[in-house]
Amino acid sequence: MNQFVLKQGRCPELEMFPHIMELGTKKNSSIQLNSLPESITKSLRLYYVIEGKFEWNIHHQPHMLYPGDAALILPGQQFGSDKGFLDIGTISWIHINIQKLESGEMVPGKWSSLSENESLAIGKILLLNNSVAFSKLNEAGRILQYIQNELFNKEVGYATRVNQLIDELFITLTRQLTKQSNPARDFPKTFMQLEQTLRQNLSHQWTVEEMAAVVGMGTTLFNEKVKTYSGFSPINYLINIRISEAIKLLKKKDISLTDIALDIGFYSSQHFSTTFKKLTGYTPSEFRKNHLPTN
Amino acid sequence: MKCIITIELGTNAVRVFAFDLKGNVICSMKGHYPTFHTGPDYSEQDPEQIFITMLYVLKNLLNEKIHPKKYKVACICFSAYMHSVLAVDKIGVPLGNAITWADNRAKKEAKELKNSPRGKIIYTATGTPIHPMSPLLKIAWLKNNDPEKFAQTSKFLSVKSYIIQQLTGEYLIDYSLASATGLMNIHTIKWEADALDYAGITPEMLPDLVPVFASAGQLRKAYQNSLGLPADTRIFAGSSDGCMATLGAGVWDEGKATITIEDSGAVRVVGKKVLQDEQQRFFNYLLTEDCYVSGGPTNNGGIIFEWFANQFGDFKNPFDIDQSMEELIAEASKVAVGSDGLLFLPYLLGERAPIWNANARGVYFGLNIKHKREHFIRAAIEGILYEIYSIGKILEEHRTINSLSINGSFASIPFCTQIIADIFNKPVSLKQNSHSVGFGSFLLSAKEMGIYKSLDEAAQTVELPDKYLPQKENNKIYSSYFGIFESLSTKLFDEFEAIATIQQKNAAEQAEHSELKKIKMV
Repeated sequence: MNQFVLKQGRCPELEMFPHIMELGTKKNSSIQLNSLPESITKSLRLYYVIEGKFEWNIHHQPHMLYPGDAALILPGQQFGSDKGFLDIGTISWIHINIQKLESGEMVPGKWSSLSENESLAIGKILLLNNSVAFSKLNEAGRILQYIQNELFNKEVGYATRVNQLIDELFITLTRQLTKQSNPARDFPKTFMQLEQTLRQNLSHQWTVEEMAAVVGMGTTLFNEKVKTYSGFSPINYLINIRISEAIKLLKKKDISLTDIALDIGFYSSQHFSTTFKKLTGYTPSEFRKNHLPTN
Repeated sequence: MKCIITIELGTNAVRVFAFDLKGNVICSMKGHYPTFHTGPDYSEQDPEQIFITMLYVLKNLLNEKIHPKKYKVACICFSAYMHSVLAVDKIGVPLGNAITWADNRAKKEAKELKNSPRGKIIYTATGTPIHPMSPLLKIAWLKNNDPEKFAQTSKFLSVKSYIIQQLTGEYLIDYSLASATGLMNIHTIKWEADALDYAGITPEMLPDLVPVFASAGQLRKAYQNSLGLPADTRIFAGSSDGCMATLGAGVWDEGKATITIEDSGAVRVVGKKVLQDEQQRFFNYLLTEDCYVSGGPTNNGGIIFEWFANQFGDFKNPFDIDQSMEELIAEASKVAVGSDGLLFLPYLLGERAPIWNANARGVYFGLNIKHKREHFIRAAIEGILYEIYSIGKILEEHRTINSLSINGSFASIPFCTQIIADIFNKPVSLKQNSHSVGFGSFLLSAKEMGIYKSLDEAAQTVELPDKYLPQKENNKIYSSYFGIFESLSTKLFDEFEAIATIQQKNAAEQAEHSELKKIKMV
């Protein structure tokens, strides 16, 4: 096991990869004070345990990691050891700068070859999940190893390969996250999770792919299960939630139709009005007039 | 061609059926709505989402299946789950969510009232057991714990009353659903002054009492248009899901009882007289003026077996619980009747009838070194059904039951149906894939339309082609174990109290801990 640390700005190996802030493998054979104080960074950090046992605090939660386990720290989350030092053992890690969109959403960045929808879905899932420790994620260790090999060997096509490997790392983490929070047994419970997520982000322009990814399912199975369980397609179920929220807001006098439309995820008041009328027979303003006394 | 539409507002979903005038199902659709648990004992639903889901499903059914086939909708009949409470302000706007039957926030009020002389008087008058499920206690809870909302409330409605009011503008509740509120006198069919006084409300704060056959008014113009229904479409107030399921199962004569097991379950009988029980173990709900549906509900039906499958079943395909349960049942069927002496008390959700103990908990009992995995499966199923029998057994103290009619997804699994026949030692009949609540609503509507002269005649048309006969040898074995099951269910009272107290204390501490953590993170 070669030990090394590459840092952005200091190492020529990373010149072609401005999004990789740090990459390393370290075999820690003695305890050094202050070798791992708690810290917050702007990048996304992934640590993978090769040997030893590590006690870390991730986002204020204590975690114990063993070989094969990995820790994911999102930008702005605190990470480190209570004791301030790194435990004895061997770890690999990578720090990646990811892009924050104006809407507050996270996407991997321009270097990535993930499609726009996939990027958004992955960013959404990473943000939504507070579970940050993975048990037995050997796949992540393997990908980190490949990235290191590519960077040091510089064979033809290596720049593309490194970025592909990072994409793969994101995909692996995302799938594992949803799998971990969802053991694919209790669909009503899974549906309840989805419902809560949708309600908390009702103004977001959800796609079926994103909804499926939130509960760790492929879209085919997702469509089928949602239809059987709820009687509606995922998008129609979402419309149900949106219109019910709209009705509640329409029954309050002091909020404008445009605000209601945007709040609940319609892209315009026109779009809102058409959907509302199709379902209820009333336009939103007619509905409001009918259900509130005029004064 | 005419058709009858039935709308069932269930706990998890609205189900809409269309029947032809002979009672054949033309088509059906459902739409799910969620339950929110915002606190440990809270169970709420959004009335607007229920309304919009109902409207959406009804509209799709009419547009896709009914209008294209040129059916004319003769009437629409409603049914709904019991015990819901929705507070609305003076212009009819909901003050927050509706509280469902499963909400237990009023447990302190229930305990106090049940043990008082006043509680006994109210139970005798209203027929509804004094329990947190009862709207009587939910309203009293609001009065004591949310005085601001209580003061703003102009009316306390049921979910069904709200849905009908949205469609037609009328505030009403049928006798049948009202008889499950703990607020209506089931002998005089009027709001009960004692109960209203306890809840701190006046009759004006409740919807108007009407018979199940009453017209619920005329559809608002916009809904006539969007649904494509004429103004003269008749809308019946209808009844509760429990009463409809009993009617739909054809249980209308003395000597019969019906067993419904879905997630939860109930055993019911029908009669012209109220069942008076000193220990307040039964409900007595009205269907029509001279017809009482009496019985006892259990919390722990099919939902317990689903829990078991989720924890211990094999899932070959993701989320395929049906297959997982099928395999468990195949394994269970290899075990001897009585699970070689392994007993299971299914009280994972506390229990209502017959022990009425919210702190009861699940127990495996009688385990020995020869028991295997499959014994646990069979014992779980047998335990759920012993519990059903324990309700039936106390009903038999008041009524003669010669035969049983079965419905609900769990009870109609053939393996379970046979065990029911064996435990009860009575013949059982059922119709697979029937939907008793919808069919009950059809029978009610058909009677009102003059297709049948009376509900008795309507109920006699129910066909239950599948029969299961009890096997004497099996009944002997079950009877020998049931005595132990029954005595454990009450004998463990002190231990249930003790463990539930610790569990609730720990859960509260954990909740507080994670709240603190959230604050720390912010």
